[in-house]
Amino acid sequence: MPENETVTDIGLDEYKYHFITEDKPVFKAQPGLSEEIVRQISAHKDEPEWMLEFRLKALKTFYAKPMPDWGGDLATLEETLDEIYFYLKPQDHMERSWDDVPEEIKDTFERLGIPEAERKMLAGVGAQFESEMVYHSLKEQWEELGVIFESIEDGLRLYPELFKEYFSTIVPIGDNKFSALNSAVWSGGSFVYIPKGVTVDIPLQAYFRVNAERMGQFERTLIIVDEGSQAHYIEGCTAPVYTTESFHSGVIEIIVKKDERFRYTTIQNWSHNMYNLVTQRAMVHEGAKMEWLDGNLGSKLTMKYPSCYLVGEGAHGSILSIAYATDGQHQDTGGKVVHAAPHTTSQITSKSISRGSGRSSYRGLCKVYEGAVGSRSNVECDALLLNETSRTDTYPYIEIDENMSSIGHEATVSKIGEEQLFYLMSRGLSEEEAMAMVVRGFIEPIAKELPLEYAIELNRLIELEMEGSVG
Amino acid sequence: MEGTTTIDASAQRNAPAADANPADEWFERFANGLDEPDFLVARRRAAWARCAQLPMPTRKTEEWRYTDVSQFTPESFEPVSPKSEMVAFEDLPQAVRDVIEHSHERAGIFVQRNGAAIHMRLDADVEARGVVLAPISDVAKERPELLEKYLYGDDVTEMEEKFWTLHAAMLTGGYLLHVPENTRIEHPVHAFRYVDCPGSLVSTHTLIVAEPGSEITCIDEYISPDLEETTTSLAGVEIVGEAGADVHYVSLQRYGKGIQHFSIQHVTADRDTRINGFNVTLGGDLTRSDVSSRLTGPGAEGIMLALWFGDRDQHIDHHTLQEHAAPHAHSDLLYKGALTDSARSVFRGLIRVMPGAQLTDAYQTNRNLLLSEDASATALPNLEIEADDVRCSHGATIGQVEERQMFYLMSRGVTRQQAERLLVLGFFDEVLAKLTLEGVRTRVRAAIARKLGV
Amino acid sequence: MGDFITVAAVGEIPAGGMKAVSAGGESVIVVEQDGEYFALQDRCSHEEFPLSEGELEDGEITCILHGARFDVRSGTPKSLPAILPVKKYDVRVEGDEIQVRV
Repeated sequence: MPENETVTDIGLDEYKYHFITEDKPVFKAQPGLSEEIVRQISAHKDEPEWMLEFRLKALKTFYAKPMPDWGGDLATLEETLDEIYFYLKPQDHMERSWDDVPEEIKDTFERLGIPEAERKMLAGVGAQFESEMVYHSLKEQWEELGVIFESIEDGLRLYPELFKEYFSTIVPIGDNKFSALNSAVWSGGSFVYIPKGVTVDIPLQAYFRVNAERMGQFERTLIIVDEGSQAHYIEGCTAPVYTTESFHSGVIEIIVKKDERFRYTTIQNWSHNMYNLVTQRAMVHEGAKMEWLDGNLGSKLTMKYPSCYLVGEGAHGSILSIAYATDGQHQDTGGKVVHAAPHTTSQITSKSISRGSGRSSYRGLCKVYEGAVGSRSNVECDALLLNETSRTDTYPYIEIDENMSSIGHEATVSKIGEEQLFYLMSRGLSEEEAMAMVVRGFIEPIAKELPLEYAIELNRLIELEMEGSVG
Repeated sequence: MEGTTTIDASAQRNAPAADANPADEWFERFANGLDEPDFLVARRRAAWARCAQLPMPTRKTEEWRYTDVSQFTPESFEPVSPKSEMVAFEDLPQAVRDVIEHSHERAGIFVQRNGAAIHMRLDADVEARGVVLAPISDVAKERPELLEKYLYGDDVTEMEEKFWTLHAAMLTGGYLLHVPENTRIEHPVHAFRYVDCPGSLVSTHTLIVAEPGSEITCIDEYISPDLEETTTSLAGVEIVGEAGADVHYVSLQRYGKGIQHFSIQHVTADRDTRINGFNVTLGGDLTRSDVSSRLTGPGAEGIMLALWFGDRDQHIDHHTLQEHAAPHAHSDLLYKGALTDSARSVFRGLIRVMPGAQLTDAYQTNRNLLLSEDASATALPNLEIEADDVRCSHGATIGQVEERQMFYLMSRGVTRQQAERLLVLGFFDEVLAKLTLEGVRTRVRAAIARKLGV
Repeated sequence: MGDFITVAAVGEIPAGGMKAVSAGGESVIVVEQDGEYFALQDRCSHEEFPLSEGELEDGEITCILHGARFDVRSGTPKSLPAILPVKKYDVRVEGDEIQVRV
C-alpha cells in the first residue's frame, strides 16, 4: 500500500502541522539511491546532457566522501538514505493561476496558515509541494522590471546561459557530502535574477513542505542579484509528523553583486523526525550587503551554517540566527564569514534555547585572509538553558591571517532567570506563561527583524512549544 | 587491555617480520639499555605497544588541523641516555647557573641535562617536613607505590594519546614532588630541563602530588642553546591536588632555536582544591601544548593562564580543557599571545560542564595581538554545557596594538619596535599580575622582557 | 627566481593529464593541455590540501577536500570555497625534458 494514500485524522491540537494530505504523485521513483534513479530524474526533467553528467559526477563524489564525523549524530542516516524516495513529482506541469491549484494542496496551505490576504498580495509565490514547484506566479510589474522568479527547472530551461555561468560556482559538488548528494538528485527550488538597479519591495516567498513519508527533499536555489539592486527572499518550511525518519538537504547559492543589498530569511519548522542538512552560501561583491536571517525550530537534526564570502572591498555580511531545540532535537547551526577583501565587515548574532533533552550547538567560522586590511568582525552567541537535561555547545573557528583587522567573539550561557520568572509570576502569570515570555524576550532582537506575519508565527510557535514545559 | 592483546596477536600473524620494523628496533635498542623496576618496564612497553598502533595525527584529525605533525618520525631522533651523574653547582650549564644565581629564593632545585638528572637540592627543613623531591628513576626504586598510584593516572584523550604514549615509552628523566598533608611550603621548587644534544629526543615528566591541605609552588623551566639540528622535547606533567590543597605551577619554555616541544599537562583538583597553572611559551620552533584541568570535587578551583610571544616562523599551538565533573566548581582561563614576523599561533579551548555539575562558574578568554603582516592567529574557544544552572562565558579577540598608543610612546623618543614591544609587555601584564609570588612573577617577567628585547 | 629544474620527460604526462612532482623543495603539479604544459603549486588555496589528489577534467582541477575548482592554465579559482588563485610556475620544454622554475 502506498504510504502517501493515508488520510489522517490525527488531532491538530497535538501538533499544529500534524496532518497528511491525500495526493496523487504523477511520478514516483523507487526508494534508495542509484545511478539509475539519477538518470531517471534527469531524463524526466528533460535536461541537457551536461546536467546529467554533472549529476552523475556528483553521485560519485557523494559515494566517495565520508560521513561527517562532527556535528550531529548521523549514525542512522545511512539506513534512512536506503529507504527514502529521491524524487517525487506531484504534477507534470507548472500551475499558472491559483484556480488551477488542486483543492487538496490549497487545503495544505490553508492549514499551514498562509493568510488569504497574503496570497493575493504576494507578488510571487513559489510553493514547493513534494519535489517540485506546483504554484509559481509573478506580478506583472516585476516581469516588466526584468525580475526572474522561476522554478529551478525552468531557470535551466529558459535561461541556460545565465544558469550555467553561476550554477555550482558558489557551492561546488564536493563542498561536503550533502552538497554532493543534492547535486546528484536536486529537484525543485527557485531560480531568481534581479536586474541592475531594481528594488523589489515585497519579499519573494517560497513555501514548501514535504508530504510523502520517507521522501527526500533536495531543493536547489540559485539567486543572482545584479548591481545596485535590493531584494528579500523568504523561505519557510514545515512538515507533518511521521514515525520514520525523513531527510532534507538543500543547496542555496547566492551571488550578490556590487552595491546590492539582499536578505534571505528561513524559518524552518520541519517535523521532529527530519534530518535537515543544508548548505547556504553567498558570494558578496564590492560594497554589497548580504543578510541571512535563519530560524531553526523543527527537525530532529539540523546542520546549517549560512555563509558570506566577502570578496569585494567594503562588502558586509550579517547572520542572525535563532535555534530552539527541545526533546530529541539537535540544532547544530551558526554561520560563516570569510573576509577576502579590504574593509569588509561582518556580524554574527546567534541565540539558542535548549529545553528538555534538546541540544543547541553554535558552530561558526570567521576567517580573514591576508590583505583584507581594516576588516572587522564581531560574533555574539547567547545560549539559554531551560532544564538540567538540556545541552548547549559553542564551536567557533577564528582564523586570522591579517594583522590590520579586528575580530571579536563572545559567548555566554545562562539558565532561565529565576528572578524574572518570579517577578512575572508575582504579576499573575502562570509559570508556563512566564517562561514563554522570557523566551520571547530572549529572541526579540531577531524576531523584530522578521516581517510581521513571521514574527507573529514565531511567537505562536514559541507559545506552542512552551506548553507543558513546566513540571 | 584485552583489545590490545587481540590486535597485537593479529598484527603478528599478518606481519611475521614485525621485529624488522625500524621503529620497534629503535625502541628496543633504547629500552634494552635501561635499568628499572619491572612495573615501569611493563608500563613503558605497554605505552610503546599502544603508540606503535596509533597513526601519527594528520591535519585531517580535527585537533591537529592547524599543526602538521604527519611527517614527524620519532625514530629519526636519537634517544638520550638516562644515566644520572650528579654534578656540583659550579659544573651546571652556565644558562642554568645564571638563573639560579640571579633570582628568587627556592625551597628546592632539580636540574636535568638531556635525559639525566644532574643536580638536586632540597632545603633541609623542607625535607624534614616530609616533602619528597626526587628523580622518577629513584622513586621507582625507593617509593614505587607512589608511582604506581599517581604516574599516568589520568585518562588520556584520543588527540593526546599518540604523544602521551610516546612520552611514556621514551621517558628518561623527570621528578616527583610529593607534599604531605597540611604541609605548606613557602618558597617554590624550581626545576630546569637543559637540552644541548642536537637531533635527540628527550622525554621528561613532572609529577606533583599535593596531599590534603598542603600548599606548594613549582616552576618547570626549559632551556637550551640554539640547536643546529631539529630536536624533540616531550614533556608530561601531572598535578594531583587532594582535598583543600593549593598548588601553583609555572611552565616557562624558553628553548633556543631548533626544538619542537610537545607538552601534555593533566591537572586534577579535588574538593576545595585550588590549582593555578601558568604556561609561558617563548622559545623553540614548534610548541604544542595540551593542558587539561579536571575539577573533580565541589568547591575546586582551576585557574589557567598562559602567555606566548612568537617571532621568526615559530608555531605555537595551545589546547586546553576545563572539565567540570563536580558541582560548585570554578574555572577561569586567560590565555594571551602576541606574534610578529611570520609566527603562527592556535588556541583551542574547551569548557565542558558534565551533567549534574550545577552551579558551575567557568570563564575562558583568549586575546591575540598580531604585530606583523605575515603573522597569523587562530582561535577556537569551545563550550559544551550539559547542566543548566551554570554561568559560563568565553571570549576571543584578535587585533593589533593601538596606533594611538604607539604614537604616544614614539613621541617620547622610543623606536617603533620598542614602542610595540612595550605595549606587548603591557598587554601581558594583566596575566603576570595573577602570579601571586613576587619572586616568580619577576622571574617570568624578566624572561619575557628578554625575549622582547626591552 | 630560481633556475629551471627538470621534473619529467615529454611523453610521461598523457594528453590532458597531470603529474605531481617535486621541484626545488616545492610540491608542484604539471599539467598537459592541448600540447602545452602548465605548472601549479600542489596546494589548494583554500585549505592547503594537495591538488594532485583531486581530479583533472576539461582544463579544471577539482580539490578533493571541498570541491574547489581551478583553471589549470592560470590557477584562477572557478568556484568557492577557494577565493585566491593557486600559485603558477613557468614551464618550458628543453629537448625531451619538461622543466619548471620555482
